[in-house]
Amino acid sequence: MSTTTSGESRMRRTLSALGAAQAYIGLVLVLAVGIATKGEMFLNETNLTNAIGAFASRGILAVGVTMVILTGGIDLSVGSLLGIASMTAAMMLSKYSLEPWQIVPICMLVGAFFGFLNGAGTAWLRIQSFVMTLAMLSVVRGLDRQVSDNVSVGTQIAGPDGKLTPQAEAFQLFGTPGHNLFDRIYYPVLAFIVVCIVFHLILTKTRFGRHVYAVGGNPTAARLSGVNVTAVTIAVFTLSGMLAGFAGPIDAAYSASADPQAGQSFELDAIAAAVIGGASLAGGKGTIAGTFVGALILTLLDNVLGLNAVSDNWQLVIKGLIVVVAVVLQRPDLFTFFRGGSRS
Amino acid sequence: MKKTVTIVLCALLAAACASKAPAPSASSGGEGGKKFVVGYSQSNNAEPYRAQLNLQLQHFMKKYPDIELLPIADAKQSSATQVSQVQNFITQKVDALIVSPTEPAPLTAAVQQACDAKIPVIVLDRTVNTDCFSAFIGGDNVLIGKKAGEEAVKLLPNGGNIVELRGIMSNQPQIDRDKGFREAIAANPKIKIIADREGKWLKEQATPIMQQWLAQHPQIDLVYGHNDPMALGAYLAAQAAGKADKIKFVGIDGLAIPDGGIRAVQLGQLSATFIYPTGAQEAADTVNKILHGQPVEKQQVLGTTQVSKDNAADLYKQYDLSGQN
Amino acid sequence: MTILAMRAIGKSFPGVRALDGVSLTVGEGEVVALLGENGAGKSTLMNILAGVFKDYEGEIEIGGQVAHIHSPKDARRHGIAMIHQELNLVPELSIADNIFLGRERAILDRKGMEARTAELLRGLGLDLSPRRLVKQCKIAERQLIEVAKALSQNVRVLVMDEPTSALADAEVRRLYTVIRDLTGRGVAVIYISHRLEELEEIADRVVVLRDGRYIGEREGVDRDELIQMMVGRPLGELFPRAEGGSRGEELLKVEGLSVPGEQGSGRTALREVSLSVRAGEIVGVAGLMGAGRSELLESIFGVHKAAAGEMSLGGRPYRPKSPKSAIRRGVALVAEDRKAQSLVLGNTIAFNASLPSLGRFLRFGMVDARREHAAVDERVRELRVKAPGIRFTVGNLSGGNQQKVVLAKWLLTTPSLILMDEPTRGIDVGAKAEIHALMSELAASGKGVLVASSELPELLAMCDRILVLCEGRITGEFGRGQASQEAILEAAMARQQVTV
Repeated sequence: MSTTTSGESRMRRTLSALGAAQAYIGLVLVLAVGIATKGEMFLNETNLTNAIGAFASRGILAVGVTMVILTGGIDLSVGSLLGIASMTAAMMLSKYSLEPWQIVPICMLVGAFFGFLNGAGTAWLRIQSFVMTLAMLSVVRGLDRQVSDNVSVGTQIAGPDGKLTPQAEAFQLFGTPGHNLFDRIYYPVLAFIVVCIVFHLILTKTRFGRHVYAVGGNPTAARLSGVNVTAVTIAVFTLSGMLAGFAGPIDAAYSASADPQAGQSFELDAIAAAVIGGASLAGGKGTIAGTFVGALILTLLDNVLGLNAVSDNWQLVIKGLIVVVAVVLQRPDLFTFFRGGSRS
Repeated sequence: MKKTVTIVLCALLAAACASKAPAPSASSGGEGGKKFVVGYSQSNNAEPYRAQLNLQLQHFMKKYPDIELLPIADAKQSSATQVSQVQNFITQKVDALIVSPTEPAPLTAAVQQACDAKIPVIVLDRTVNTDCFSAFIGGDNVLIGKKAGEEAVKLLPNGGNIVELRGIMSNQPQIDRDKGFREAIAANPKIKIIADREGKWLKEQATPIMQQWLAQHPQIDLVYGHNDPMALGAYLAAQAAGKADKIKFVGIDGLAIPDGGIRAVQLGQLSATFIYPTGAQEAADTVNKILHGQPVEKQQVLGTTQVSKDNAADLYKQYDLSGQN
Repeated sequence: MTILAMRAIGKSFPGVRALDGVSLTVGEGEVVALLGENGAGKSTLMNILAGVFKDYEGEIEIGGQVAHIHSPKDARRHGIAMIHQELNLVPELSIADNIFLGRERAILDRKGMEARTAELLRGLGLDLSPRRLVKQCKIAERQLIEVAKALSQNVRVLVMDEPTSALADAEVRRLYTVIRDLTGRGVAVIYISHRLEELEEIADRVVVLRDGRYIGEREGVDRDELIQMMVGRPLGELFPRAEGGSRGEELLKVEGLSVPGEQGSGRTALREVSLSVRAGEIVGVAGLMGAGRSELLESIFGVHKAAAGEMSLGGRPYRPKSPKSAIRRGVALVAEDRKAQSLVLGNTIAFNASLPSLGRFLRFGMVDARREHAAVDERVRELRVKAPGIRFTVGNLSGGNQQKVVLAKWLLTTPSLILMDEPTRGIDVGAKAEIHALMSELAASGKGVLVASSELPELLAMCDRILVLCEGRITGEFGRGQASQEAILEAAMARQQVTV
């Protein structure tokens, strides 16, 4: 209907605002359950830092995946890309004793390279991104295992004096538990938040960000409006790969080693975070703020369930249900939907 | 465009194949005498323990110049893949076959087929549900779990609280390592397992679980990890909380790699670990005996070696195969 | 004899009273036209009849008996079929599969389905294989397939919601023949259309709705009176263009443009097309379905690669590689399919309107939202887009207002040449007049306008010159005053044998 009275539009706006708030309601609920059941044990800096830190690398992947999902694509390869970046970081450290600040850009390049291939396959060869990145997931995991000989590589490398080398010492700041910047800031949490802010700004304030939404919302209209759809597609996959590369050293430092299996099935957590945060797999809909909240919900839920000693099997059941509930709560027409009767 | 892609793919394929050792030729004439061909189907190359096993098997097989080990087939954790690999080896008419089954039931028929084709089969590490094989070689996870438990009893003379990081719940080694451990710690009723969770054999899974345990339980005296990486993941969490000194860590596997359990014991991160034997040397010897018509023992259950600070350096040297292949 | 009677029908949506006490009766073999602006409640009324809504107020009688219609299945049982404005076909299935979708036998009788489909298509004068996939058919063909689908069912009441909006005149005639054939057999037809000249020809009676209310009905068609009933105010001239524009310099010159076609998508090839558009001139492009009108505009906009030919724009050579480079040279395209090609429906007015001109609002690499919104707001006001604000979702606007957003979007790029493909399709009379006025204004301000339309009266009234396309060639050119519907149609049907 096109007759829009001001009353109706006000109602619509309220409803859609509520729709955005529903993701936050989920977060508030998880926090409330945590505080109610465990109080101080849950709500203290160490526990929250631990909880968010454990998910930080997956959260960073989720930001990249959100960009791809916004264009209507999907990136299943981010877990493998994180794995190979993590391996790259550990090897750069153990074999070449590179400084941490040298390692990060190298890892980002490695990730961006494979991400670019994802984009090129999707945009130029017109392979569906699901298929292209599924193939990349396998290719990169294979390369990861090949270069590592299937053996994990430690990052706590001792020098001849038996103490950690200065590079290895510094590398621990990327997220080995208990190592903080300025004795205060846990790098994985900081990195996750900064990545969220930067990409939030890119999506909301730049022309490129608009183009990302346009390509996902209607690729034909985008192209006819002068958007270079091919370039945008390649760019989002490259950025997603670059972020996976950026997360690599964090993952390696977190376990103080790079496991050839690191990052396996992380792509599913990343996609779940984006979807809980309101991203639509059809493209064109979603925000980084939503993904950030989605990531928090996932990791804090894990934490709350763990602290309450809920069994592993039930944790799986509950986490699956949360995804469904979150997606249903995202519906802007939630209230009308349950009153029955769809609108034409 | 398509053509280029095809060419690149072909080149990649060729390169990948060329990087592998000699092409499988069922019976290469060679220097005079007959050369035996042996196939090995590994359940999953990606587990560090199995990667180590592969290395060792290749190493020990070299001691027998008249035996050629075909490139190791990786089933990548898929029983279906493994069945077809075994059938491939049967078609190639290998002289002997080694199998490390992913799961017992699906592989039983394939082993039976090999047996029907009169190919001697050595089952390595995990069992199958038929008697039609020449030898079984493997460790005893219940026994290893028991040894770990006995070590825990020793480490906690006055009793104490234990947390247990389990492998993937449905895996047989997980079930056995848990069973043996619980049997052993029953010796001291003051020792209690206060929490246990599935760490999926992974280090990065174990760290956050341990962080949560540290928040929940003021008194944790010992961490039992079903493998070394999980025990070490828990160690990282405890170290960050400043409690690593007050807690003992016990793992299993004892791999001789820089990032493995033996080194961790040497560094004092783990109190002890138990070498889960690969059986590679025994498998090589058994294959050799079978091919030369000598009798072999059908059930070869391998023992374990406890790694402690005293013997760690020697054990590392003994098992380290890097640079030998 | 009355076959359908709808009495005191009412329907509310959250915040909107869409229908209020509307009654409608239709007799056997009668064609009743339902007239009203977008949002007047026509579609809602018809959706109630087709069982789209579970609940509504009022009563429906069919053949003198009360009928409870609460689902599409109920409607079908009572012999009601509806051809929706939004085509309801599955693109990946064949025409035959689509026509029998939901009514197939458990084990498909392909031969029977295809034979029946071929017969139906022939009846509509559509020369298509029943096995052709719907996605390979053009919009107009799809519309006729929808008609065929409705005909394949045993209909007593057939509702057609804008069946001709995508059809060229020849197809429209074919459709009329079919409608007359149906009414001859006693079928009642309810016909929704914005084209008043069509109603003169086909409707026995015209019922006018406005703002969800019944306004009145007339047996004959008096255009001025009907328009007044629809809009509720007298409307001056339908096509407000004063005689001829002042012609300026040559703006666009196309010489020998050839663009290969595409079998799969049914794209027509262009063959050595030459034309020119002067500044201040409105040039029309006429032609039947598949003549290559859209392809011509899209090729000028850089969508398709040209195989041969030269173009120049403002005296300089013009070879657009992509829409992006065309936009940079000051060319704009108001595309044929508003929803599929022009708008990101799930996003806001502001988002859509500024998409091609974001570069103008950049500051330190960031989009300056204040300047952007100010500029969009100005355009939106100028074009009188009816919306609560520029952050309103485009998908919730009416067709006319959506089209105005598309126009606002292109005006923001300050183009010198505007290509328009069916700019007034499916738009109510009021908005149509506003768009026509805008076209005149643009021409008056020295811009060139190249407009393709299947509505000949629109072209005749608006254009300084009309080019006629047939099978990708230009087969006629008429100056203002020389052109007549007959002459244009003749040129449009001047098919020739393709010489190899």
